Amino acid sequence: MNIELKNVRFSYGKIRALDGVDLELAEGACGLLGPNGAGKSTLLKILLGFLRPDRGAGRVLGYDIQQEQFPIRRFVGYMPEGDCLIPGMDAVTFTAYFGELSGMPRQEAMKRAHDVLFYVGLGESRYRPLETYSAGMKQRLKLAQALVHDPKLLFLDEPTSNLDPQGRAEILELIKDVSSKKDIQVLISSHILPDIEYTCNYVVILNKGKVAAQGAISALKEIKYSLYEIRAKGETGRLIGKLKDEGCRVEETEDQLLKVYMPADLNRTEIFRLADQEKVQIRYFVKSQTSLEDLFAETVGVD
Amino acid sequence: MPIAEKGYAHWQGTFIDRKFPWWPISRLAIRLAFKKKGFKFVFIGSLLPAFFFLAGIYISERLEDFTFMMKGTRQFLEVNPAYFRTYFTGDFLLFMMVMIMVIGGAGLIADDLKYNSLQIYFARPLHKKDYFLGKVFSIFFFLTFLTLVPGLIFIIMKLIFAGSFKFLAAYPWLPFSVVLYSLVLTLFFSFYTLLVSSLNKNRRYVSIMLFLIYIFSDVFFGIFYGIFHNPYFALISIKGNLQQVGAALFKVKAPFNVPWLYSFLILLAICVLSGFILKKKIRGVEVIK
Repeated sequence: MNIELKNVRFSYGKIRALDGVDLELAEGACGLLGPNGAGKSTLLKILLGFLRPDRGAGRVLGYDIQQEQFPIRRFVGYMPEGDCLIPGMDAVTFTAYFGELSGMPRQEAMKRAHDVLFYVGLGESRYRPLETYSAGMKQRLKLAQALVHDPKLLFLDEPTSNLDPQGRAEILELIKDVSSKKDIQVLISSHILPDIEYTCNYVVILNKGKVAAQGAISALKEIKYSLYEIRAKGETGRLIGKLKDEGCRVEETEDQLLKVYMPADLNRTEIFRLADQEKVQIRYFVKSQTSLEDLFAETVGVD
Repeated sequence: MPIAEKGYAHWQGTFIDRKFPWWPISRLAIRLAFKKKGFKFVFIGSLLPAFFFLAGIYISERLEDFTFMMKGTRQFLEVNPAYFRTYFTGDFLLFMMVMIMVIGGAGLIADDLKYNSLQIYFARPLHKKDYFLGKVFSIFFFLTFLTLVPGLIFIIMKLIFAGSFKFLAAYPWLPFSVVLYSLVLTLFFSFYTLLVSSLNKNRRYVSIMLFLIYIFSDVFFGIFYGIFHNPYFALISIKGNLQQVGAALFKVKAPFNVPWLYSFLILLAICVLSGFILKKKIRGVEVIK
């Protein structure tokens, strides 16, 4: 296992950020999902050794997160959420500098910086002062500094925040390339569900500091529930109530479309039976392809 | 802008364990300081006293050649510990040191706080002390060029110009005083600069604070001394304290009638307080409890 956590707990004063987190992640790209304040960034910072858990233990790449932060930081690349730069530098010196701080010989760090900057698409602007970079370029630069020492594990904290659609697509493409073809395991913390769905095959959903769900995205989407989209004529309020009584979660969209999350053990004919009971006509009934968004909403309980 | 202009390739090299992991940080800080507007001018300007004092040492050994210039100024050209004290604790040199810190040192931590780069520093195998030493050494670099280097050159040149070791025989402790006082100055200014730099994210505010604290501590001393005529008010002046310690280390009469140890303790207390605050402020992650 590349990342193992056992019963990790962490509090900021009286506020509990992580509460008994158990994790086991092996190869591939893993998404760390959760609403704001769920504990995603805190978890990354604990894995990097920035924060010391109040309780519990963990290992990253086989190294203890409390005792062996140095080897962890040598083999892990970290791309933080906010802007990070050093004014007065250009991208090559910046990237090479952090390569050197990771333990690379100076000349090799410089050579590698050029390679990595070309890889992330900053080759042409690698000598420009960092202060003149756009938001998208700064994101790429952060990715470059995280990749410069060729990490085995890459932690990306909200890698697509503040990006326009094109910049976002390009960063996601890079992440997918790194995680799928380059033997680098990627852990992406994000609340943007399509990003996770696009880049990851495994997901951990955090809610209120606890692991609400984890597993392969495909498996999680299948086994837990079925999603049906319904349009009905008549008094739908009571039908919704009855469906909820049966254990379904029902959402009503602005255009009166009902999204019914049905538990796996419930038969879909039940919907028709209840509709008949409540004298409601069902005029549209489609089994919807469940998305990560649906899974997230179902697990975390938010729209 | 195309992405992946070049494919990703794994790095085949091996990591090295540096003896001085802080050295890349110092090197970068020195390099960035020289890129700052006006820094080279100030740095070269601050070397001027050293050239004048060096010329003084030369003239002191060739007084007969310069008699036309010497009317009533012979005592100033007597090279002794007081001569060194005058160089090291001179208003101009101390002021220029502060100016170097204002231009080149203000952003050392403030910029890292403003641009959130501390977290990428500490995502590397780097101790807090390495980061701190890296920043301190950059200040050391600039200040030793104004203190230790000229001080030792003065002694060497004095011996060369005199052609004998009489000077060193008369003051065998002087090289140690030079080293020690250089250390006091560089250490104090390092802690002072890093402390102020860590208190604000805006480099300009830090520059202003560095300047004003130094100047106003002396202005207030002047005001209070003028009103109460009590020399102990010298203890509130950074410059006054540095001059007191300098006088003690060069074994000459202190400018103020106050035990030099008090001044030393005040400077030490500022350094200890700075270290304590820096330990709290420098961290990979902002934790609000």
